[in-house]
Amino acid sequence: MSQSRQINVSKNGVPVTAIVALAIVFVAGLFVVGFDQGHIFSLVYGEEAFQDLYIHELTHDMRHAAGFPCH
Amino acid sequence: MKTFLFILIVISSGAAAGLIHGSMNLIFVEPSLDQAIGIENQHLFASGEEKDTPEFWIKYDGYRTWQKSGQVLAGGILGISVGALFGIIFALSRNSLPGKTDIKKALVLAGIMWLAIYFIPFLKYPANPPTVGDPETIVLRGILYLIFIAISGFGAVGFYKLSQKLKTKKLVALVGYAAFIGIAFVAMPENPDQIAAPMDLVNNFRIMSAFTVSLYWLSLGIILGSLWHHYKPHKEIIPFN
Ligand SMILES: [Zn+2]
Repeated sequence: MSQSRQINVSKNGVPVTAIVALAIVFVAGLFVVGFDQGHIFSLVYGEEAFQDLYIHELTHDMRHAAGFPCH
Repeated sequence: MKTFLFILIVISSGAAAGLIHGSMNLIFVEPSLDQAIGIENQHLFASGEEKDTPEFWIKYDGYRTWQKSGQVLAGGILGISVGALFGIIFALSRNSLPGKTDIKKALVLAGIMWLAIYFIPFLKYPANPPTVGDPETIVLRGILYLIFIAISGFGAVGFYKLSQKLKTKKLVALVGYAAFIGIAFVAMPENPDQIAAPMDLVNNFRIMSAFTVSLYWLSLGIILGSLWHHYKPHKEIIPFN
């Protein structure tokens, strides 16, 4: 009597949960380094964040170096 | 597949390759960035927006140190992010990638992804140092770059899938993709900004930038391939009764 748990896997045997988790990591990381103009901190600090652009300053050099459009 | 081990391998290889990328940038790319920002400072002095005083340089140095420390951190974040995409595609395509070992398979995929989502977009929209970009066009430039990367990436996947379905040779997929991306390359609008900075500086920056990004992809392939080879996350867990 074997009973295997039902796990969602794609046809290559890769768990869908892993794909979704990694896809979220991909989009979030790309946004922070490549495109954020203060949006993330504005969730916490409001409009002021757009003036300070903290994340932008910290990721600024990599943004240029990795080929993303900047200033 | 061992889900947790798989995610752990993907994240750590992305982080390691990203930290290598960030550190290499400190050596190879930062000199060009400093030079470009130096030109911006001269513009600020000339326009009277800032004064060439010791106070300015103290503020400036602190600001640049902060930005440079971010280079390595941002390298780690970007490395994990791009590594996550690489990990997904590697896991899904591992069985059909050429190469006997996981390291060879990972290097083949890293090469393909480097070409499709980095190098071809780089040829269309090359990296620019500070002082080149017009702040007015940043959103447009961001959208153009992202769209072109997406067109190229999905195009590569699309032609690969198509050749699988039609059971044709891989070369057919390659020729199809080449024609497709060639058309997109010509059809997409150019970067609207005029380059006023010295071309020597811009070219040097671009070469160094392309060099370290390529180093990232190479490291990513080797590290993920080695970890995969060692830990074999694709092996099934034997289900207990
Ligand atoms: Zn910039």
